[in-house]
Amino acid sequence: MLNNFQEFYNIIPILLIGAGFLISLLIEMYFKKSDVILPWFTILIFLAAGFHALYAVNSVSVIFQNMLATGGIVNIFYIIFTFGAAIVALLSIDYIKKYGTYFGEYYILLQTSILGMMLMAGAKDLFMIFLGLELMSVSFYSLAGLNRKRLKANEASLKYFLLGAFATGFIVYGIALIYGTVHSTSIDMIASRFYELSSDKLFIAGILLFLIGFSFKIAAFPFHMWVPDVYEGSPTTIAGLFSTGGKAAAFSAIIVTLGVLFTGRIGNILMPYLAVISVLSMFYGSIVAISQDNIKRMLAYSSISHAGYLLIGLAAGNSFGVAGVIFYLASYTFMNLGAFGIVALIEGKDESNLTLKSFSGLASRYPLLAALFSIIMFSLAGIPPFAGFFGKYYVFIAAIKSNLTWLAILGVLSSVISVYFYLRIVVLMYFKDAETDLKIDVSKTGLAAVIISVLLVIIIGIAPGTIIDLIAFFFK
Amino acid sequence: MSLQLILFILFGTISAISSVLMITRTNALISALFLILNFAGLSGLYLTLNAQFIAVTQVIVYAGAIMVLFLFVIMLLKPEHEKYFSHQPKLKIFAFFIAFIVFIQLVFMIFVSHPSQGNNANVAASVKAGTIEEIGKQLYTNYVLPFEAAGYLLLAATIGAIVLAKKKFE
Amino acid sequence: MVQLIYLTTLLPLLGFLFNGLFGSKIKNEKIIGIIGSSTIGISFLIVVGAFFQTLSMPVDQRQTIVNLFTWIKVGNLDVNVSYQVDQLSLLMGLIVTGVGFIIHVYSIGYMHGDKGFGRFFAYLNLFIFAMMNLVLGSNFLLLFLGWEGVGLCSYLLIGFWYDRKFEKSTTSDAAKKAFIVNRIGDFGFLLGIFLIYLTFGSLNFNDVFARAASLNIPQYVFNFIALFLFIGAMGKSAQIPLYIWLPDAMAGPTPVSALIHAATMVTAGVYMVARCSIIYASAPAIMEFVAIIGALTAIFAASIALVQNDIKKVLAYSTVSQLGYMFLALGVGAFSAALFHVMTHAFFKALLFLGAGSVIHGMHDEQNIQNYGGLKKYMPKTYVTFLIASLAIAGIPPLSGFFSKDEILWSSYADGNIIYWLIGVVTALLTAFYMFRLVSLTFDGKERFGHDKHPHESPAVMTIPLIILAVLAAVGGFIGIPEIFSGEHGNQFDNWLEPIFQPAQAKIAMFGVHSSLEEIVLMVVTLVGVIGSIYAARYIYIKNIKPAEKLSKRFNGVYNLLLNKYYVDEIYDASVVTPIVKGSEIVLWKFADIKIIDGLINGVANLIEKISGSIRKIQTGVAQFYALIMMLGIVAALFWIILSL
Repeated sequence: MLNNFQEFYNIIPILLIGAGFLISLLIEMYFKKSDVILPWFTILIFLAAGFHALYAVNSVSVIFQNMLATGGIVNIFYIIFTFGAAIVALLSIDYIKKYGTYFGEYYILLQTSILGMMLMAGAKDLFMIFLGLELMSVSFYSLAGLNRKRLKANEASLKYFLLGAFATGFIVYGIALIYGTVHSTSIDMIASRFYELSSDKLFIAGILLFLIGFSFKIAAFPFHMWVPDVYEGSPTTIAGLFSTGGKAAAFSAIIVTLGVLFTGRIGNILMPYLAVISVLSMFYGSIVAISQDNIKRMLAYSSISHAGYLLIGLAAGNSFGVAGVIFYLASYTFMNLGAFGIVALIEGKDESNLTLKSFSGLASRYPLLAALFSIIMFSLAGIPPFAGFFGKYYVFIAAIKSNLTWLAILGVLSSVISVYFYLRIVVLMYFKDAETDLKIDVSKTGLAAVIISVLLVIIIGIAPGTIIDLIAFFFK
Repeated sequence: MSLQLILFILFGTISAISSVLMITRTNALISALFLILNFAGLSGLYLTLNAQFIAVTQVIVYAGAIMVLFLFVIMLLKPEHEKYFSHQPKLKIFAFFIAFIVFIQLVFMIFVSHPSQGNNANVAASVKAGTIEEIGKQLYTNYVLPFEAAGYLLLAATIGAIVLAKKKFE
Repeated sequence: MVQLIYLTTLLPLLGFLFNGLFGSKIKNEKIIGIIGSSTIGISFLIVVGAFFQTLSMPVDQRQTIVNLFTWIKVGNLDVNVSYQVDQLSLLMGLIVTGVGFIIHVYSIGYMHGDKGFGRFFAYLNLFIFAMMNLVLGSNFLLLFLGWEGVGLCSYLLIGFWYDRKFEKSTTSDAAKKAFIVNRIGDFGFLLGIFLIYLTFGSLNFNDVFARAASLNIPQYVFNFIALFLFIGAMGKSAQIPLYIWLPDAMAGPTPVSALIHAATMVTAGVYMVARCSIIYASAPAIMEFVAIIGALTAIFAASIALVQNDIKKVLAYSTVSQLGYMFLALGVGAFSAALFHVMTHAFFKALLFLGAGSVIHGMHDEQNIQNYGGLKKYMPKTYVTFLIASLAIAGIPPLSGFFSKDEILWSSYADGNIIYWLIGVVTALLTAFYMFRLVSLTFDGKERFGHDKHPHESPAVMTIPLIILAVLAAVGGFIGIPEIFSGEHGNQFDNWLEPIFQPAQAKIAMFGVHSSLEEIVLMVVTLVGVIGSIYAARYIYIKNIKPAEKLSKRFNGVYNLLLNKYYVDEIYDASVVTPIVKGSEIVLWKFADIKIIDGLINGVANLIEKISGSIRKIQTGVAQFYALIMMLGIVAALFWIILSL
């Protein structure tokens, strides 16, 4: 229960989205013009929640009988989720008309998925992790297959659901084993007994299964197989949400549950697992992305590769690493949303204009789009001074601090490979003549969303120190 | 060997065997019937673990309501007209093999770990914890947030299902 | 006002963004010009405010650090974007924004009608942004950012008229030359920064200088740091042997030459060495080296300027020579004298360039002084202001150049090395000579231009900046009147900067440069020489043009040597550029690049593409198969646990 006004104040972000969801349902039911009101209402709710989280970042507390934490890195995750979702909503306004699914439910499910993510990031109990995960996943499954008439969307939704349920099974199994050894689902309890139980195979197996379930959500090798098919089949904006919000939420769950592993106070016993799947993800993602013709599939493999870089930060197992991961997530969220946003802008009716060829010669016809896309590609490839560079830089440095220099070197090698397919698009846009007669109506709201993302990428790239300071301050 | 243990083993065996039989039947209706048996075995397991409320809920909700829904769906879809997935026998054997290895691994770990040692079962407390009264009390005090979250989850799932199934397209 | 100092970089940045993004769309030159100039004007007012606020503080509290945000923080490396407002940075800030503002206003008139009007102001604003970061930054990294930024702007502005011819090649070639030569210096500068971080564990000025003064660090480390930093300064401030880019930089529009290549950017090296005074004070050998390079550059460039015929070339070599003076002062430990000269030089040299610009403007882009003559009746304002500037640079009292030049000469004499003083005096005589050769050939004598030219005075928007600068060039020296004249108050300029250089001065334990009768004697000697030199120039080039031709015939060899700038460009071409180009073409390009590196890279790329193509076949699209792969991963992970723990 809430004991005083302060606690009420602290969970306003969650209350806002929880209430906003119900109000959205009413708007959808009773307003004729819901198709105009609802997107903006959704954006408003996200921004209000996000700005409140930003404003109240210092009010650290634990509420609801040790169920939910507020303030600190929890709020930083809230900011990532809500601002990311606001950009997705802004992108969607025109996109979903083009895509043929102009439903109010789209925005409602968007809100529930964000609510699920927030519950995961703030969880202090495995119950909350599980419920948050399911809330997010159920919304995702529905969003992926929103357009029933499209075969690919159906396939994406079903594949995501089947494999997602499979992975969730492992998470639940892991939770059961953890509960069986710790005799509690409280995360604080798990953390306090972690050291004592770290030689108990059953406990570690539980932790590992839990981690494997989330490895699925963050799209790490070999639990990544769903990613390309699902990204390709889902609406582009939603694929953007999967790759950013979904990934950030899964990382937040890992960080809040296993945070004690990454503070350096006890040894990072899961380092070998994390390091191995990190290396495999990086290289698999970067290498296979090269032979993709479809831009969405390419971005899917790029997402797998980025999961690998993020895992380096966890494998490093020190507070720099975790701070680096959170920083990386923030920068990755905005650059990837920018990338998917531009794909959504260029995408024509019935999934046309999605091949790499559609991008050739873009610079001569849509110079602004080409410039924005180039910045995003540079950032994704990790070229300074954009945000992507500093994300990689921080996790690599963390790895070197933990004597995992080899991991950092492999990370750099993989980045080098990834430059090939990121910059290929830039080359196509600027140095090739158009092969297709591309005609697009650039949506104003969508363009605004992309510009905001790019600006955020640049701002994060200019002042990375301030942000990493803030994160490191809360994660000690 | 106490009666509790004997019953545990009995119900456990029933649910394990019925689940294997369920997934290997080619006739969907028979599979569904084995699923009912599986649910019954599970609720027996809950009973031996002093979780009376969950055992009853399992019977009422799953074995009762949900199974009726399943059977309706199976009859409406007429699965005998559906083509079976083409089988790749080699892959199938390989899959069985992998599943078996995971099973062995988990069993091995459980026996190596001896989790039950040092855990004095407080029977009276666990009986009390399984009552409806206690569950209700917990749900509305300590677990009120998960309870609310579960409510949201069900609502979201309902909306998702309705959108996917019923939404009209222009 | 001190806390608002960040606006002095933010406003030019906004001006750059506005003019850069919308400059080509807005057809109205007034809007572009007003926005471009007002951002700098407001910045100037802020710096003035900060100056007076700082002036009102007690002497030991005159340093304020304005911290904006953390830039990079990794382990021990903690770099903030923060500005250090103190006596030195305020001085430089005043020069940059003040002279910068005047030149911006002048440019509105000068660039009138140019198709790149918006682009020009965007670059100029970007330059001020970078330059202010350079002088205000409180750490070496921000300094370096500004350093590279001004280099970039210099490159962009030298090649501003990229479609015009310049001498034998194009303006782009001149821009490239400037960029590449600067790069050599920047490389040394970077090495210096790395070495500083390695030695002191920090890049913040305050930490580094405090540790440099207190920690026990081997002599050779100081020598290397000081040397590397000085290599950077050689590039940016055009010292021997890296001066060759500056004369070519005259390919840019004249306001650019005035702002970047005379008044501000080229003095960045002086600023940097002065900022690191404590490091140089700890490396006496390098100080000596700085003084030698400075003295040689001064006399060398002055001698080339004697015979050049392009009005801007003369001024360019004059700039190189004056920069040599400043380094001479730094080398003998007279840091504040060097900065005093930076300031007065900014006034009179900017004025000279703007005056030259006015002449070129009036003469329809004619730059050869042999084709001028008698212009004083056509452009009286330009003539008077130009004359004031020439007298100032020649060192005629009481104009500003006299005081700053005298202080340098006196310091080099008091340092104990009479050779430096002698070189300084000879340079001063040469300076007076070539300046009045320039004035005489341009404004006096017969008209030597054709009838197709109609010289006219420039519009007010150009002449008013000239007048303002002329006033500054005339009276700017009074803030640094030597002790011998001003009595007990001493040199106000030196007093203002004294806290900055106090640690370094203490370390050098230099001469009590307190004035004596000797100073007056030397002053008079120099002055007499300079006046004689001016008369000689006027005699030769106005009264009778014959002696000039006779002289050049008689000393044909020397004349050609000077006219061709000692053939330095040709020597560099033959000894460095051509071998590198040929070598890289034959060895690096045709063999190493194409055969080895391309082969290797293409091979690896092909290999990866093949791997990529074959791996993607795993992606069958069958969900059951995907689940199976997941299970394999789980099996492997569980095996790892069973075996390892």
